[in-house]
Amino acid sequence: MGVLRSMRARHADEMIEGDDVAGHLLLRAGRGDQSAFAGLFDELSPMVHGVVLKVVRDPAQAEEVTQEVFVELWRLAARFDGTKGSARSWAATLAHRRAIDRVRSEQASRDRQTRDASHAVRDHDVVVAEVETSIDQARVRRALAQLSDIQREAVELAYFGGHTYREVAVLLGVAEGTVKSRIRDGMIRLRDELGGEA
Amino acid sequence: MSDIDLHHLSAAYALDALDQHERAAFEAHYESCEVCRADVLAFRDTMTHVASSLAAPPPPSLKDRVLADIAVTRQLSPALARAVPTDELARRRRARSLGIVLAAAAAMVAVVVGVVAFTGRNDDTYAADLAHLMDQPDVQMLSLENQADAPGSFKVMWSPALGQAALVGENLTPAPGDKAYELWLITPDQSMAMYVLDPADDGHVHRMLDAPADPSAWAITMEPREGAAVATGEIMFVAEVPATA
Ligand SMILES: [Zn+2]
Repeated sequence: MGVLRSMRARHADEMIEGDDVAGHLLLRAGRGDQSAFAGLFDELSPMVHGVVLKVVRDPAQAEEVTQEVFVELWRLAARFDGTKGSARSWAATLAHRRAIDRVRSEQASRDRQTRDASHAVRDHDVVVAEVETSIDQARVRRALAQLSDIQREAVELAYFGGHTYREVAVLLGVAEGTVKSRIRDGMIRLRDELGGEA
Repeated sequence: MSDIDLHHLSAAYALDALDQHERAAFEAHYESCEVCRADVLAFRDTMTHVASSLAAPPPPSLKDRVLADIAVTRQLSPALARAVPTDELARRRRARSLGIVLAAAAAMVAVVVGVVAFTGRNDDTYAADLAHLMDQPDVQMLSLENQADAPGSFKVMWSPALGQAALVGENLTPAPGDKAYELWLITPDQSMAMYVLDPADDGHVHRMLDAPADPSAWAITMEPREGAAVATGEIMFVAEVPATA
């Protein structure tokens, strides 16, 4: 337990440090600094690509959306407002939104590929990223395990599956109001487990 | 309460689990709602942990393509702090809008199109009604200019085609005992529609309203709680509808 706690604490520090790096790079990018933006890409692209891939699933489309997200981050960099959340959070929000947009616009015309996203990419950065990610994954898995089944399913279908809560209600066969409150309860629980003070 | 539905959408919004109409309705609400804004920021931070746990580096070639793209992509200028009407044009526009409203206020006795008390109505369907309103192709939105030395803000959304409006007041000082906020819809021929809102006991006013006429301006005054056919209070909030809208 003690080991686990110190690991979590150390990891939390690293996240904050990483945030500062991203925020600093984003500020410089906002003044037109392309090499700072290259650094920002190194810092944030595993997360951005990861969340896009998880939602979109098709590796080629995930690359396209990731590219779109970074070009948009560049365009909007000067408008980044640190009082409305961290740079990392801003990028995660934008990545998920663009992934959702892609999925919803593609949904009618094309079936999504269902192959496992986590094995889609392999390169020299993967090993390093996987070590960091596995700590995150353990925390997130543990946090998700604290939710009730329906809370977890509702949150996962919405965030990973890209479904609206109305669609989630149909998928789970429960009332829309129930899904709305399960999502809310689940998110409050996740926030308590993972943190999320603005 | 009427705003509970919207407050409860913050988690679904942070998950991008609202359809586009609800998203628009929620966005109209949450920027000015302290509770929802704090919720959204916190939930987004939470999901950033989840996003980080999904990390999967893109192929190295993607970085080259992104850097090539941004080299030829113009950046947007920084957003300026809340627009302050310092230039002459804005000053004149403001004077004109006040002039119109005050002229209309003088004529208020003449025609009162409607006196409608809305307290306690629409609570169950507020979020759905608002979403429906925001879905209209001709929907317009205005932030009322705060003329009072009091805190708070009002925003009005309306659709002439639908004949409905929504009013969102946030962070208001509750009206004293026998008073209530009242909304005035002013038309080009200076007839008025008047709506008794509520005393904003919790600092918020969220109401769907019938908008029977095409407005040229909206204004808010403080009036007796039972409603006043003539505006007796100072104009606290006001916005002129731009001619092009
Ligand atoms: Zn709210």
